[in-house]
Amino acid sequence: MTKPAEPEQYLSFQLGADVFACNILQVKEILEYHRLTSVPQMPAFVHGVMNLRGTVVPVIDLALRCGRPASAILRRSCIVILEAGHEAPRQYIGMLVDAVHEVISLCADDILPAPAFGNHLRPDFIAGVSHWQQRYILLLHMDKVLSIEEMASLSSPPAVQIKAESACLMS
Amino acid sequence: MDLELAMQSFLQESAELLEQMESILLDAEADSITAEQLGALFRSMHTIKGSAGLFGLDEIVHFTHQAENLLDQLRDGHLQLDAELSGVLLRSHDHVKAQLAAVAAGQPIAPGEQDNILADIAALLPPADMPPPSAEAYASSSEPATDSEWLLSLRFGPDVLRNGMDPASFVRYLATLGQIQAIASCCSSLPADDSFDAERNYLRLEVQFCGAVDGEQLASVFAFACEGSQFIISPRTELASHLQQALQAGDAAEQQSCRDIWQQWGLWQPLADSAPLPTASVAADSLPTVATTADSKARNSESRFIKVEAGKLDSLINLVGELVIAGAATNLLARSHGNSPLLESTVVMAGLIEQIRSHTLAMRMVPIGETFSRFPRVVRDVGHELGKSIKLEISGAETELDKSMVDKLADPLTHLVRNAIDHGIEDVQQRRAAGKPEQGHVWLNAYHESGSVVIEVADDGGGLDPQRILAKAIQRGIISSDAMLGEQDIYRLIFAAGFSTAERISNLSGRGVGLDVVQKNIETLRGTVEIDSEIGLGTTFRLRLPLTLAIIDGFLVEVGSSTFVIPLETVVECMELPARPGCTDMPERLQLRGEILPLLYLRQFLELDGQAGRRQNVVVIQTGASRVGLVVDALQGEFQTVIKPLGSLFRHLKAISGSTILGNGAVALILDVLALIQHATQQEAGRYTLEQDPYQPAGNRQPHNNDMSSGK
Repeated sequence: MTKPAEPEQYLSFQLGADVFACNILQVKEILEYHRLTSVPQMPAFVHGVMNLRGTVVPVIDLALRCGRPASAILRRSCIVILEAGHEAPRQYIGMLVDAVHEVISLCADDILPAPAFGNHLRPDFIAGVSHWQQRYILLLHMDKVLSIEEMASLSSPPAVQIKAESACLMS
Repeated sequence: MDLELAMQSFLQESAELLEQMESILLDAEADSITAEQLGALFRSMHTIKGSAGLFGLDEIVHFTHQAENLLDQLRDGHLQLDAELSGVLLRSHDHVKAQLAAVAAGQPIAPGEQDNILADIAALLPPADMPPPSAEAYASSSEPATDSEWLLSLRFGPDVLRNGMDPASFVRYLATLGQIQAIASCCSSLPADDSFDAERNYLRLEVQFCGAVDGEQLASVFAFACEGSQFIISPRTELASHLQQALQAGDAAEQQSCRDIWQQWGLWQPLADSAPLPTASVAADSLPTVATTADSKARNSESRFIKVEAGKLDSLINLVGELVIAGAATNLLARSHGNSPLLESTVVMAGLIEQIRSHTLAMRMVPIGETFSRFPRVVRDVGHELGKSIKLEISGAETELDKSMVDKLADPLTHLVRNAIDHGIEDVQQRRAAGKPEQGHVWLNAYHESGSVVIEVADDGGGLDPQRILAKAIQRGIISSDAMLGEQDIYRLIFAAGFSTAERISNLSGRGVGLDVVQKNIETLRGTVEIDSEIGLGTTFRLRLPLTLAIIDGFLVEVGSSTFVIPLETVVECMELPARPGCTDMPERLQLRGEILPLLYLRQFLELDGQAGRRQNVVVIQTGASRVGLVVDALQGEFQTVIKPLGSLFRHLKAISGSTILGNGAVALILDVLALIQHATQQEAGRYTLEQDPYQPAGNRQPHNNDMSSGK
């Protein structure tokens, strides 16, 4: 407590009108958007799969996953590749965002707890909020947002999926 | 040299030698053993002994020495290979294996078993033997057990160091056989200038040795360094011929320095006072050369394989995949520029890349025979234990399967084979009463079918009795007494945990653990188990496994903007969907040469976007007995592909078995045809059941209703 914590780096990106950020340590690389292969029988937030140098990587539409309208593919659309999960063979997973901004440094003091409501996001997805150059930034808890366990169970039978999506929208 | 690494390669080499030894012993039970096989047996024990000596593993050296003695007697025809002897040898094999495992784990080994085996070996050896290490007794040798004097000129070849052998260790080993009376080195060929090569051996040794050994034993000390080396070994009594031979071998400088050494030892005088040669000793002279040829032959066959770490191969496959895509891109570029010489060269390159790719892919595939080869031993041991005579027949051992699958198959297969022998095949009395041959048969068979690998474990035993299984299942409370089950469902009960119909519990099976584990293992490999059984005739367990990461020949089809791969083995034929003028709705079935073919519209079934074009195509696929027509937009032809697993996010997908990367870098999904048909059948069945029974939960019409509970 005596020593001020080292600032940590975050990657900020745009999703609709809001700016989000995630810890840079999880980010593997950032790619320009190119057409993906869509996978049938999967929930809408699974945008498709892509070929990452010989590995087939799923790509999640982050907007849909966060309960917002689907991202439109624009000139600045990007796919951010992250490492998901903690178990031994780490899985790569991509997320589709509207634009990638920059890497920002935040100290622990800069990160505030999220307000109780008004975030338009599932509370367990939020790691905190912060300000950066007069902009309000939501820090995401990527392990929760891109939890393979949860997403896989959501993509199981259609009946459950609809329930889950409505639950997701309600919260 | 890194000792840890050397140790690893020693353990691996020994494991291979032991495997070879086991297979020879098991073969030899069926036929009479050949001299070549005996030689191989002897060599394997001897090599392990020698290498163990290098690492100072005295326990192993001591034991293998005894086993080697036994084999030596066999090789010389003093003993005949019979059931008892091969039993002892197999036990020795197991013991050495256990010793090596203990070395690998860094633990001491319990001495009990070793003493038992050694006692058995001693009982088999001719009684005239002396205690080790002077256990050899040669009838042909004139001085069987007393110390004799020898002269050794050891001309180690230039490559012995490169081959990982240290001349000093031979000397050390030699010292354990007797006494080295004098030793001198002769380094006349050692260059003084820069041409000195640190990895090259320049050392030559002259040794006077005294010990209770014979020429063959001495020769065998050096047997596995004899490639490229020359060892002249003679009894002291043959001094003159030895010196003459040794002098012929080297160049002038070497001859001179040898002479100096011998002069110092008092051996060399012009025309030394050589005693007459009273004993028959021709054998000793010719021996080293004989050993050389035999050994180099064995070495040639060993070096046909190279061990490669699996991870390296995986990254190579990935790189080659990238190369294919890059090559295709270059080809497109050349085409768009209209540069025909460039185009031509890219086509040549593409052909080469394709060859590289198929070769690299084939490297990961190993024949299943590797796994099958352990079963003769399993069958023999289990059969002996139960007093049943069993013949194992293996076919399809060349069927190729991904290496990682092969490793995981060993345990479930062992279980099934043991089960077949214990539960499947009846006692001799019962077999006789049933009019069957006394010897039971177990078949292991593997083959490719419809893009999967099928492995069958069959026996000609009593078969499964559905009534008994049913009674037992009810008694154990696995099913309720009023359950109505089909034949297959009844058979399936034997996979339930805690199920066993064996009347008594044997050492091997009957405790009801096993088959449920087998099924679980196979399911983790995404495979299925089917059972065929006929009372009185036998049972067949059929394991159907996907070729994860294996190569399949695929057939590319297009629906809208998506490309799918259908396993080529399932495709029977393709045709255009006949247009029906004046009719806009989609036909549900097609009449094909008098046969009615149900049609499955891939676009509707997989809920893909886009509108069907004017012309659609039908791909007729067959799995097992059912034929279905898949309606797609376009056919793109054959494509050989690597299956890329889709990852756990997609584990609930039923109709897609994996994905692959196309030449243009895009990902295509592989259709699981069997699951697709099952899914469609159940969906339709469910839909109409639903109409009859409106209170049924909606999820039940899906085949994966089991996932409901885990879903949320």
